[in-house]
Amino acid sequence: MSEVILDVQDVTKTFTVRHGGAGARGRIQAVGGVSFEIRRGETLGIVGESGCGKSTLARCIAQLLPVSSGSVAFNGVTLTGLSRRQLRSHRREMQLVFQDPYASLNPRRTVGDIVAEPMRVHHRGTSEQIRDRVADLFRLVGLDVSSLVRYPHEFSGGQRQRIGIARALALNPQLIIADEPVSALDVSVQAQVLNLMADLQDELGLTYLFIAHDLGVVRHVSDRVGVMYLGELVEMASAEALYQAPAHPYTEALLSVAPELDDGRARTRERIVLAGDVPDPSDKPEGCPFHPRCPVAQDICRRVKPTLEVADDGRAVACHFPRRR
Amino acid sequence: MSFATRAGVIRAVDGLSMSVERGETVGIVGESGSGKSVSMYSILGLLRDANVTIEGSVLFEGREILGRPDSELRAIRGKDIAMIFQDPMTALTPVYTVGWQIAEQIRQHTGASKKQARKRAIELLAEVAIPDPARRVDQYPHEFSGGMRQRAMIAMALSCEPSLIIADEPTTALDVTTQAQILELLGQLQQKRGSSIVMITHDMGVISEVAHRVVVMYAGRPAEIGTRTQLVREPRHPYTWGLLGAVPRLDSKRTRLITIPGTPASPLDVPEGCAFAPRCAYRFDRCEERPALHGDDHLDACWLEEPDKVRLRRAIEEAS
Ligand SMILES: Nc1ncnc2c1ncn2[C@@H]1O[C@H](COP(=O)(O)OP(=O)(O)OP(=O)(O)O)[C@@H](O)[C@H]1O
Ligand SMILES: Nc1ncnc2c1ncn2[C@@H]1O[C@H](COP(=O)(O)OP(=O)(O)OP(=O)(O)O)[C@@H](O)[C@H]1O
Ligand SMILES: [Mg+2]
Ligand SMILES: [Mg+2]
Repeated sequence: MSEVILDVQDVTKTFTVRHGGAGARGRIQAVGGVSFEIRRGETLGIVGESGCGKSTLARCIAQLLPVSSGSVAFNGVTLTGLSRRQLRSHRREMQLVFQDPYASLNPRRTVGDIVAEPMRVHHRGTSEQIRDRVADLFRLVGLDVSSLVRYPHEFSGGQRQRIGIARALALNPQLIIADEPVSALDVSVQAQVLNLMADLQDELGLTYLFIAHDLGVVRHVSDRVGVMYLGELVEMASAEALYQAPAHPYTEALLSVAPELDDGRARTRERIVLAGDVPDPSDKPEGCPFHPRCPVAQDICRRVKPTLEVADDGRAVACHFPRRR
Repeated sequence: MSFATRAGVIRAVDGLSMSVERGETVGIVGESGSGKSVSMYSILGLLRDANVTIEGSVLFEGREILGRPDSELRAIRGKDIAMIFQDPMTALTPVYTVGWQIAEQIRQHTGASKKQARKRAIELLAEVAIPDPARRVDQYPHEFSGGMRQRAMIAMALSCEPSLIIADEPTTALDVTTQAQILELLGQLQQKRGSSIVMITHDMGVISEVAHRVVVMYAGRPAEIGTRTQLVREPRHPYTWGLLGAVPRLDSKRTRLITIPGTPASPLDVPEGCAFAPRCAYRFDRCEERPALHGDDHLDACWLEEPDKVRLRRAIEEAS
């Protein structure tokens, strides 16, 4: 097996937020003790409900947000606690594709400049070489080279998303943290981008942390998949195992409600609709965070929080009563 | 409609005709950059750039709204026709709290008091499944997650119970459970108010669950229009075949995804004839001429003969 490229240990992130108008302050634990490793050349997918802390985790790993506790090591170097200057050379090797493409593109620069910028900052080649590379990147993500001189607002949602991907690829990083990189793309362009990411992985040995809510997409790209709930990992397994036989009741419910094309070929399945309110990180329940909505919760689940146990087959589940098949 | 840009003239929408009935949900699907968003913006008068040229006609409840003065359109927008934007930050400003923005929208269109509007804003946030809405109402957009921002904007759009909702990728940032809740909420509003919905999405799964009829766009032109069953089970246009073939499925393994060969049509340089022809495996001489959208209730813009389409589609199905 190849070496560990990213080692995330017990990362937590807490935000302080205003509480109901009157100036009172409250705390939200957006990420609560997440640990995992990614090996070089691997793709780890992360799925979970809106607000469960995926983007916050991505930002903590990319050192765009300071962690509240825990550590992140990249290529054996602990990044948490390094100064901005010390981080610079590591950042280059680790690029983030942002969830919100528009907010992350400077509206006053042409898209050609936006994609060229990381190369200019890191002095990668002459201006001519950079220009050629930008054109190559545009072609790679299926954009018109003639549109290099246009501004971000002149592009459609999916085109902007691809500009963000081109920018992330510009420096040939070792690790790409992609936060919903294809959510705004139609299926065909989405397939092109995903295939491109797979090709780059084969050619350059890229490693991906791939965050998405589309379970079909995650399955296609990932070697392993982690499921997050209320800021914590509740299950992690090979993509194959997770989709074939989810062990955590939450994973099972997630898989059961994914919309599928009703063309007569989709597998038949029973929908498990989760009861109870959507959870809020400011108000985490005692015991298992999932118990208020869990169809199989017992008394112990209300009192004792299950830890993420790794089984022989490498599957990790945080549940007192995991499904065994 | 077209844009004059630094790179040349972009014909973003070219000859789109469609109708939406009361209480109906029409889905719009199509390649990234095919003109889905801007065609809907132009309807609402949201593109008032000097670089934009719009031709044609848009009737809302029998009245022409294209080219109406801005004051008139502003009264329609939000109250009668609401837009859910693809990018939530188009509708939300970073400097005000989410609750203030929703309440303001309600006050403008209904004349409710500050207190009533705030109360309604909290209810709406609860309806779009934002946890702990009474506290969240006082947060700023950047304190919300991506999916929460999208839902806050949906709450704002629904606040005045509009008769037409134009939803541009309303659930793209949302996980499946939250997505199901939002689709359900839109469905409820439709039932209660008889509202019509135009839903732009690239998610064929969503389309096949909610849309009554579907418009497939390619390079600014409609390629196929039909009921969702017609489109998903008996698609007629080769572009639609490609689109359906590329859907990643839950029941298949990690393999190479099927794509439509070639690159998307350049908006600066759309072919004279059929726009899809350069990428189409079934093209022939006639495709150099532009095909008209034809048919009765199931329309398509392709020169292939009907029996050939059926035969080819069957062959593709059997091969997969
Ligand atoms: N303000 C603008 N100025 C110039 N060109 C524009 C502008 N807005 C959109 N375009 C161009 O018009 C075309 C259609 O854009 P539109 O946003 O409607 O695409 P879309 O179908 O919604 O795509 P997506 O699925 O990626 O959101 C694109 O080629 C885009 O680059
Ligand atoms: N800057 C911030 N200040 C306060 N709270 C924040 C901030 N950023 C995120 N949060 C909160 O942290 C939680 C996790 O947010 P995050 O953006 O990580 O979710 P996510 O899993 O990426 O969701 P989505 O799928 O909707 O993008 C949410 O409750 C959110 O409101
Ligand atoms: Mg996010
Ligand atoms: Mg769009």
